[in-house]
Amino acid sequence: MARKPRATSVNLAVNLGGLAMKNPVTVGSGTFGAGMEYSDFVDVASLGAVTTKGVSLNGWEGNATPRIAETASGMLNSIGLQNPGVAHLKEVELPWLADLGATAMVNVSGHSFDEYVAVIEALEEAPVAAYEVNISCPNVDAGGMTMGCHVPSVEKVVGMCRAATKRPLIVKLTPNVTDITEIARAAEAAGADGLSLINTLLGMAVDARTRRPKLARVVGGYSGPAVKPVALRMVWQVANAVSIPVLGMGGIASGTDAIEFMLAGATAVAVGTANFANPTATVDVIDGIIDYCEQYGVKDVNELIGALEC
Amino acid sequence: MLYNEKAPILFNEEAGRGIWIMTLDAPEIAATALPGQFVHVRIPGMEGHILRRPFGVYAAFPEEGTIDIMYQVLGFGTDHMTHLEPGERVEAIGPVGRGWQPPAGCKKALLVAGGVGSAPIHPLVGQLKAQGAEVTAILGAQTAEALVARQRFAEALGCEPLCSTDDGTFGRAGFCTPLVQEALDEAAASGQPFDYVACCGPEPLMKLVASMAEGAGVFCEVSLERRMACGVGACLSCVVDTVNGKKRACVDGPVFPSKEVVW
Ligand SMILES: Cc1cc2nc3c(=O)[nH]c(=O)nc-3n(C[C@H](O)[C@H](O)[C@H](O)COP(=O)(O)OP(=O)(O)OC[C@H]3O[C@@H](n4cnc5c(N)ncnc54)[C@H](O)[C@@H]3O)c2cc1C
Ligand SMILES: Cc1cc2nc3c(=O)[nH]c(=O)nc-3n(C[C@H](O)[C@H](O)[C@H](O)COP(=O)(O)O)c2cc1C
Ligand code: FES
Repeated sequence: MARKPRATSVNLAVNLGGLAMKNPVTVGSGTFGAGMEYSDFVDVASLGAVTTKGVSLNGWEGNATPRIAETASGMLNSIGLQNPGVAHLKEVELPWLADLGATAMVNVSGHSFDEYVAVIEALEEAPVAAYEVNISCPNVDAGGMTMGCHVPSVEKVVGMCRAATKRPLIVKLTPNVTDITEIARAAEAAGADGLSLINTLLGMAVDARTRRPKLARVVGGYSGPAVKPVALRMVWQVANAVSIPVLGMGGIASGTDAIEFMLAGATAVAVGTANFANPTATVDVIDGIIDYCEQYGVKDVNELIGALEC
Repeated sequence: MLYNEKAPILFNEEAGRGIWIMTLDAPEIAATALPGQFVHVRIPGMEGHILRRPFGVYAAFPEEGTIDIMYQVLGFGTDHMTHLEPGERVEAIGPVGRGWQPPAGCKKALLVAGGVGSAPIHPLVGQLKAQGAEVTAILGAQTAEALVARQRFAEALGCEPLCSTDDGTFGRAGFCTPLVQEALDEAAASGQPFDYVACCGPEPLMKLVASMAEGAGVFCEVSLERRMACGVGACLSCVVDTVNGKKRACVDGPVFPSKEVVW
């Protein structure tokens, strides 16, 4: 039976740069499809938002296999943003989410500045509550992380996307930079309504027995519980550097993990890799947030945002 | 419909060299599993290893509400599984995937299993026999002690499966592929050729058996293994190159018609 969060008198609703969320929990793009595959396990409409898999204009093939490797308390992936293109999302997944009454945030990718804009333009009439602009994927050669590492390209792509839509625009940042606050400020200045972080850390795994890399692409993105301390640190730094809200992610698997991110400054959180081990992780995290609030007498989750004492 | 069952372990013992049988109390999966489907298992006590492990359903007993899996000790997870005791609980997502799809009027089937590939093929014997097909099974293993599925196949078939061992300790010495070619040739010569071949085992074996079946003009299916994260179709970790583009091994497979696979 699909699980829903339990009832509570705690106010869970948050606002992520114009995106109204009934609770502060969404999913990490690419770990949840558009929710269909998890709908036997959780009521996807009960999530704060469903963030869909990265979508490009005409679809991409993705990388060769093996695309994943398990590492200590984490994993590497090099999916390479395989997706069937924005038309498929519009015809199949978005109507399905809309029928359920789910809140959809679309993760947007592109190989070029113009492709990001074209994807957003293609979606302007579709039932989309917000865009998450992915300028941080480490697994593609053009676009993705290459765009998210330098201030001029961040300003340009965010500015062009901003001009293309009035909807909430969340910009997803890569941790693979020297100073993430510099990139965060550039995105804010170019018109982002919110920032999400972290995307995966660039990593690598080697099979000593075969003397080969464990991923066909050699390098890939590192995620899961192992990256949580890095993610928390970056969320804290960014939340202190900008005045727009932050969507925190990286290794979140429990309500306590989510609370830690909110205390560090996140307005909302995303559950990614944890869905793989636990298909009800999203609802478990919401329930865990409720438990915490009830236990500590927190009447409104918004009280927790940035409430770290230090 | 997929279930995520907290499944108590009822039985967990070594059945042959490094090959174990585990029985799980998983009534929803037991009631709905089709031959060739698998379970994606979260194993307790190895939380630093964050991914589930996929295993074919070796047998499903709807009345008892149990399933058996057969696993070979290969790495950390499968080694850790050997230390689990009855009463401990795993979590199993299932039944996952597209199972075997023999042609509707299948009359004569050849099933080929290499090693623990015998697990997901075993339930197919019962299905084919129930629809009145004549079934021949060929099992290959490294050595006699690793032929753990032989007895259950014999019971399901009503006769002995054909066997080969790499070291010659049981049945034909060497790989099982000569037995496959002979079976295909004999059936063709007798005027009653096979109309279905199913194969699960190491990928080189499946590729070879697929080409033998295709050479004999017989429809063939294979069950492919890929690294899996979600096991439910969401993450695109497990893709297989097919003539129709990339397909997910977990939900579009693991069983694919051999002619669709780009080897
Ligand atoms: C659909 C499917 C059905 C399977 N059925 C069976 C079965 O019935 N019996 C059986 O013994 N084995 C089966 N396997 C293989 C089994 O999943 C692996 O042997 C097992 O995951 C190894 O785990 P480990 O922790 O011991 O190895 P490790 O090498 O420590 O595992 C590390 C990671 O690699 C993955 N991995 C390692 N080998 C494989 C492999 N061959 N295929 C897929 N993932 C792998 C693990 O799941 C894990 O994520 C099946 C695989 C798939 C995809
Ligand atoms: C298999 C996989 C696929 C991913 N695909 C995308 C994607 O399409 N777009 C994106 O912005 N991030 C993608 N990510 C990154 C996650 O959304 C998230 O930022 C990251 O994994 C860190 O969170 P986690 O540790 O909770 O997984 C992917 C991550 C994984 C593991
Ligand atoms: S394992 Fe996630 S799509 Fe197959």
